[in-house]
Amino acid sequence: MRFVQLSSPGRWRPLWVSLSALVVALVIAGAVFALYGVSPLEAYGSMFSGTLLSAQGRAEVLRRAAPLLLTGAGLTLAFRAQFFNIGAEGQILLGAVFAGGVALFVPVPAPLMVPAIFVAGFVGGALWALLAAWLRSRLRVNEILSTLMLNYVATSLVVYLISGPWKGQNVRGFIYTDDFPASAQLATLPGTQVGIATLVLGVLLAAGLQLLLSRSTRGFELRVVGENPGAARYAGISAWRVTLLVALLTGGMAGLAGVGEVAGIQHKLLEPSQISLGYGFTAIIVAWLARGNPLLCIVTALLMGVILAGGDVLKIDLNMPYRITDVFSGIILFTLIASEVFVRYRLKVGR
Amino acid sequence: MNDILDALLRALAFGTPLLLASLGAIVNERAGVVNLGVEGMMALGALAGFAVAYGGGMGGNLWLAVLAAMLVGAVAALLHAFVTITLRANQFVSGLSLTLLGLGLSGLLGKKFEGFPLFNQPPQWPFTVGAIVLAVVLGGVLQFTRVGLTLRSVGENPAAADVLGLNVGLVRYAAVAVGGALAGLAGAYLSLVYRPSWTDGMTAGLGWIAVALVIFVGWSPLRAVFGSVFFGLLYYLQFRLQGQSPVPTEVFSAMPYVLVIVVLGIAGLRGQQGAAPEALGQPYTRGER
Amino acid sequence: MKASTPSKKSLTLALALGAGVAAVASTLNPAQAQTGSAKLKACFVYVGPRGDIGWTYAHDQARQAAEKALPWLETKYVESVQEGQALPAIDRLVADKCQVIFTTSFGYMDDTLAAAKKYPNVIFAHAAGYKRAPNMATYMADFYQIYYLNGLVAGALTKSGKVGFVGTFPIPELKRHLSAFALGVKAANPKAVVDVKWLNSWFDPAKTREASEALLSQGDDVLSSAEDSATGVQTAAARKVPTFSHYNSMYKFSPDYVVAGHIAHWDKIYIDFLTKVHSGTYTAKNLANVDYWSLMNTGAVESGADAGVAVNPKWVPQLKAAKMTVAGKTVSVYDRLMALTADMKSPKPTFDPFMGPIKDRNGIVRVPAGKVASVAELNSMGWIAPGVVGAVADEPKK
Repeated sequence: MRFVQLSSPGRWRPLWVSLSALVVALVIAGAVFALYGVSPLEAYGSMFSGTLLSAQGRAEVLRRAAPLLLTGAGLTLAFRAQFFNIGAEGQILLGAVFAGGVALFVPVPAPLMVPAIFVAGFVGGALWALLAAWLRSRLRVNEILSTLMLNYVATSLVVYLISGPWKGQNVRGFIYTDDFPASAQLATLPGTQVGIATLVLGVLLAAGLQLLLSRSTRGFELRVVGENPGAARYAGISAWRVTLLVALLTGGMAGLAGVGEVAGIQHKLLEPSQISLGYGFTAIIVAWLARGNPLLCIVTALLMGVILAGGDVLKIDLNMPYRITDVFSGIILFTLIASEVFVRYRLKVGR
Repeated sequence: MNDILDALLRALAFGTPLLLASLGAIVNERAGVVNLGVEGMMALGALAGFAVAYGGGMGGNLWLAVLAAMLVGAVAALLHAFVTITLRANQFVSGLSLTLLGLGLSGLLGKKFEGFPLFNQPPQWPFTVGAIVLAVVLGGVLQFTRVGLTLRSVGENPAAADVLGLNVGLVRYAAVAVGGALAGLAGAYLSLVYRPSWTDGMTAGLGWIAVALVIFVGWSPLRAVFGSVFFGLLYYLQFRLQGQSPVPTEVFSAMPYVLVIVVLGIAGLRGQQGAAPEALGQPYTRGER
Repeated sequence: MKASTPSKKSLTLALALGAGVAAVASTLNPAQAQTGSAKLKACFVYVGPRGDIGWTYAHDQARQAAEKALPWLETKYVESVQEGQALPAIDRLVADKCQVIFTTSFGYMDDTLAAAKKYPNVIFAHAAGYKRAPNMATYMADFYQIYYLNGLVAGALTKSGKVGFVGTFPIPELKRHLSAFALGVKAANPKAVVDVKWLNSWFDPAKTREASEALLSQGDDVLSSAEDSATGVQTAAARKVPTFSHYNSMYKFSPDYVVAGHIAHWDKIYIDFLTKVHSGTYTAKNLANVDYWSLMNTGAVESGADAGVAVNPKWVPQLKAAKMTVAGKTVSVYDRLMALTADMKSPKPTFDPFMGPIKDRNGIVRVPAGKVASVAELNSMGWIAPGVVGAVADEPKK
């Protein structure tokens, strides 16, 4: 058995390879359900009816999809440019911190508050990613490690702030800030925790990034740097500038997701694990599933939203541990990257 | 004086799993394969070890428990090896998937063990002493033996190793499996010695610290001993010094991660790539060079 | 427990399908939920895993006991719900026709209140908090009396004169427990102090382990841990120092070193509350003043190493040998322990740990002579009793 390179992979080959990988992942996850002692059909049925078939379930899917879309769309850009940002979790937290700082301590006129916290959040997330970009470009520090490490630093920073200088007036020994003023609380779809602003921003920015990537000079440069760094150098494209742009956008978008979580749902800064429910990592799957297309993240973010909300359904209806979502995420990501080889190669039996 | 001794003992107790897991990671990284799945493999090892040692409440064989943990860690690592070495997928994303999968599976399958005490608890010292001895031996093996040379050449220059007749893929598979076995052992230490019990998410980020530690100590097994004790000390001090030092405890919890970045930055400033193996993280395909 | 029949499920699906996102709130009309089932459906939101052997385990044991005792009751639970994520879980439970919802952590307080406003026909009961609504009661099986008793034990057993306390969050609940504990320690051993370390977490065995070790390293030779796992007991046992059961019997984790402890029987509250809901005494309109503040004389809390075992027999001789002074007379700590236990278990106790005069550790009078701290005062307690050593957040200056 060996791999034979395809001369021309075909336009639709990546799509059906991805879809096949997803189907394989669902089958494997079904086997895990069976191993756990739950009928896969019952589990999938329950996930499906509890998310897509109920209004409340759909709202929960959107609640998860909004931050995943924002973060994931930004990550596609980073992965395209070979800037392996796995620190979106930390960038989400910094976005939340910056937004929280403005909401709590800066006297912004009420009508300007929402734009102000979004800008602040974007800046916060972007700075955290730019730090990693700077470390890579100037000190050749691998960004996978620096962004990962910065996640933990961000966690400690949030805990320090909410238990120290930013601790609320009436928290009675708990660790969180005071509630944001009403002007800094985002509108949600009625009766749900779905932030309207983040959802709209997510769709608009995903489309914008797609345009940037496919139609602009910057996008062209970005793709060249990612796909063929040698050629980029030869063509005089500044890899440093591209990295900066990518870090700015990927970090900033994650920061926006952080704003949505604290200003739309929690209305305060609180423990890091409650600000982002692992969105920074799940967004990696969103971006990878979309194969580098920001616009496609709308679909993949919804898919992962179904899986996360479905995990909640399984937890409540079948009393399964919520960890089932990690199993899903892990299997999907595995089958996806394992399938990548089939985009460019086909398997030939015999020699 | 007593205080210092206590702190040192706690640092060793907390540092032992870090040392075991990072020694494993040093082996596979020296062969050129990064595995960010340490956390997941540890989680699986912790569960496998506990399940066997618990033995349905009767108390199982502890040797078997340790062996099971190492085996499960190695098997999980082989999945990473297959995806990254044979299918040439991105090592970082694969490791991340392994972490998710390991945490997920262990959380799912371990649920029925939650809340049970382990009465046949093994002593700590064989693990701690064993880990330190292993570090010394591994240091020697890497530096002075043929096996070590093979491992290093595959990590530094796989093409040259290939020309010399070494089977790059096989060496890498073996190194990844060893890394997984040691991560599994680290997990077993947590559920058998440190706790001793099983709960979901009990690795609590230690696997990531182990990954960071490898870089911090510049891929040297001997320095990993000091590194893990140092990280263990930082964890302990946040409680020991609570209320007695003006430094916020979060500084201690953030310190390991900041230090890794600083160490990498300094290496970069000096124009070195640290001591990172030359081909770290790159898949190797024969004839593509 | 997966009670919904296919027909009901498809009905719900059909209903839900027809509704758009904007109609979310209306499809969740709980009135229709209440008419659906013959059994009363009570649902529980847990902050930790059921197997934590501490707080959540105790609530879950009580849930099962209530279900066994009340034939007309069906229950459901969700475990490991983070404190900022309670509302979506409650939404699901209401959609699932839960008529009574127990939220079992202090941190769920504001979300429970919000949910009570959103679903006026559902009955809510929140543990450990102080905010109520017409359809939201509060309940607490409180340990402060028992912490005082355990303090007597700790004071009698410490040789170094230093007792360790692992705290979770420095909220009023923990402050009154810590303070009562310290008052007990001081009563049995006026020279002794209580060292405290905080985790800022309800459930974190690794932190508990190192915080306990740090306390032991500081010379503490009796340990009490408020974290929701058995790690505190396991650590104490490994280091051979006396310790206490927490929320449940942890006696089996260390038959040698668990001396006494505080054990909760939440089923006493759950059965009483649910029975009154079932009989129509409690409705979604009259709960604004319903607060179960259950102390030793209700049976909802018990002082003991194991259920029914007040003091581990292995330690009785030492407690009998230890002497303390009460109102000028010398008595054995064991006798004092038994006398106070009997008193506080009686319908009208004459003793309370927070009987004045009590000054806080900064010398400010907190409970004047002749007074006993009220429930409201205990629920908002910020001050710390003398004898506690270590930083405590949000301690009032005056």
